[in-house]
Amino acid sequence: MAEADSSSEELYDETNWVLYKYRVDWKDVTPVPQDDGPYPIVAIVYSEKFQDIYDYFRAVLKSSEKSERALQLTKDALDLNPANYTVWQYRREILKHLNKDLIPELQYVKEMIEDNPKNYQVWHHRRIIVEWLQDPAYELSLTETILSQDSKNYHAWQHRQWIIRTFKLFQNELQYVNQLLDEDVRNNSAWNQRYFVINNTTGFKPDVVQQELMFTLDKIKTVSNNESAWNYLRGVLLHHDGGISQDQNVRQVCEELYSSGNRSPFLLAFLVDMCEENMERDDGDKEESLRRALQLCDVLANEYDTIRREYWNYMARSLAQRMDCPEREATGSTKTD
Amino acid sequence: MPACDNSDVLARKQHIKYFQRFLNLLPRRLSSYDSTRLTIAFFAISGLDILNALDVLDEKKKRLIIDWIYRLQVVPDGSEPSWKRCGFQGSSTLIFPPDETKCSPLYECGHLAMTYTGLASLVILGDDLSRVYRAAIIEGVKALQQEDGSFCATLAGSESDMRFLYCAACICYILNDWSGMNIEKTMDYIVRSMSYDYGIAQAPELESHGGTTFCAVATLALMNQLNTCFTNKQLDGLRRWGLARQISGFQGRPNKPVDTCYSFWLGAVLKILGVFEMIDYQQNKNFILSTQDSIVGGLSKWVDTTPDPLHTYMGLCGLSLMKIEGLLEVHPALNVSQRAHQHLYKLHKVWENN
Repeated sequence: MAEADSSSEELYDETNWVLYKYRVDWKDVTPVPQDDGPYPIVAIVYSEKFQDIYDYFRAVLKSSEKSERALQLTKDALDLNPANYTVWQYRREILKHLNKDLIPELQYVKEMIEDNPKNYQVWHHRRIIVEWLQDPAYELSLTETILSQDSKNYHAWQHRQWIIRTFKLFQNELQYVNQLLDEDVRNNSAWNQRYFVINNTTGFKPDVVQQELMFTLDKIKTVSNNESAWNYLRGVLLHHDGGISQDQNVRQVCEELYSSGNRSPFLLAFLVDMCEENMERDDGDKEESLRRALQLCDVLANEYDTIRREYWNYMARSLAQRMDCPEREATGSTKTD
Repeated sequence: MPACDNSDVLARKQHIKYFQRFLNLLPRRLSSYDSTRLTIAFFAISGLDILNALDVLDEKKKRLIIDWIYRLQVVPDGSEPSWKRCGFQGSSTLIFPPDETKCSPLYECGHLAMTYTGLASLVILGDDLSRVYRAAIIEGVKALQQEDGSFCATLAGSESDMRFLYCAACICYILNDWSGMNIEKTMDYIVRSMSYDYGIAQAPELESHGGTTFCAVATLALMNQLNTCFTNKQLDGLRRWGLARQISGFQGRPNKPVDTCYSFWLGAVLKILGVFEMIDYQQNKNFILSTQDSIVGGLSKWVDTTPDPLHTYMGLCGLSLMKIEGLLEVHPALNVSQRAHQHLYKLHKVWENN
């Protein structure tokens, strides 16, 4: 077939398609049929086109032919099954062998990614080609395109983190994260990316911790029923000497939200954990902290987070128990914090 | 209990038929399953087992399936380097008739997900694994571990991550031989993949995810290293993160929609961590059953979407964790029935005495 560059729509047009076995330029190759044994399980009713292409792919693999026509054959094979990792691997070997210009390959794999954004093999191929090129120029925009269609696509985030880490492209990433959070403050992937950026740039130094707490509290004040923001807040506080309960700003915002009648289960859970921490502090009012924690667990279990009723009841029991005999905690594990 | 309408009842018979159809023949629109036919076979075989309906396959049929699976085994050719390629392939697409193998041996190699599901299927079918090249397969597993502790799927070119680390652990567990992995490195990779929210990601610094959290926690359970790997604080955080994923059924990440398969992935995590009883059974069950097609069988990811073998199998396993009547209990870490796990245990005893 002459139209090597024809679009995939045309390729799928069965009326225009010429089977490999009828192609003059493939006459010298003997196709190798699939050997599925006497009793195939999960047999697939392959189309004639599928069978034909893979018969020729097996033949090429067998003879180790690495040619232009074999390269085109891998493309046809991948159109029918982009999950066949061996075809991708063989395609890479042909590219290497023919010393092909890799820029058109980037374009090809971009199209494949756009058609199959949740396929592992296409992203892996992309990564290898970028590794060969040692050029990340197109990667941020590619992942942005994919994330604009599905802002939580795990493959795109994984690729993006790899690119940013490998080629030190942290510079504008926080800006991108902010943009995504402006679009959807519940985008957990974006919050995770924020942690990734800070952790690999400034690190969570005291002033950065303060800055991140302010940022997050601000988002929580706007939308409090957002687990992602609360989780990030806890993540930042992992780097705070005072744990989760000693930061003035955090305490103030939480208490204000509570006083104003906010009963987001994430707020209440956070308050429980603050009480728990206070119970363990020497200067804390243990009785009062326990009393409040039990009251919060009770409303979580019975009003605001009833799907986790058993958990909050369990939390209440274990907090009360700990007050009775504090040395009982940290059993059952050989590791301590 | 609400009145007994159809969606409250598990359409057991229809699901049995659904799996039987997948074991036999797939339509051409499912051609993209071509390289992973063995995993589809696993979902169907293990699914029938969980439905306590393995007897719909008679002895002859079971033997034929077993033989088909063994045909997918890449066997060593006597030279030591060839052991690295051993394992199972996902289909016969790239298997060449024996005496004709002139193609580079590089292309005939096992794939960890296929080796795991292949071995598990054999165990479920009651095979004694006597035709498995155990030592070679373990070499094959070993060859795929990366410097950072994660695993690639195959020497024929693949990414490396938590999924294949889990598959590697299952293979070592089934073959009762942990020399296939560096346990220290494996644990290090898992610890480094725990996120600030205590869930576990595909790789360090990525977003925590229900599927990869399962892979990590189940691996530690199979290695019996749960308590040595994580601190109490981390385990408590992990429990809370897992429980927080229940919305009605379970979601895989915060602020994502619920999806049938997470009733197993997260259910199993919570079971292994000893807090499964704290979930809301009724809501979980209602969600799973709402995704079943009670006419043609099968369960899907979401309500009113097309069923597929993975979601059908995972949905049933999610129900099985709650000990729903009529279903066999699932082993949460190995993801086969407890009955199949018992059979495996007996095989291990036999091997130990040899």
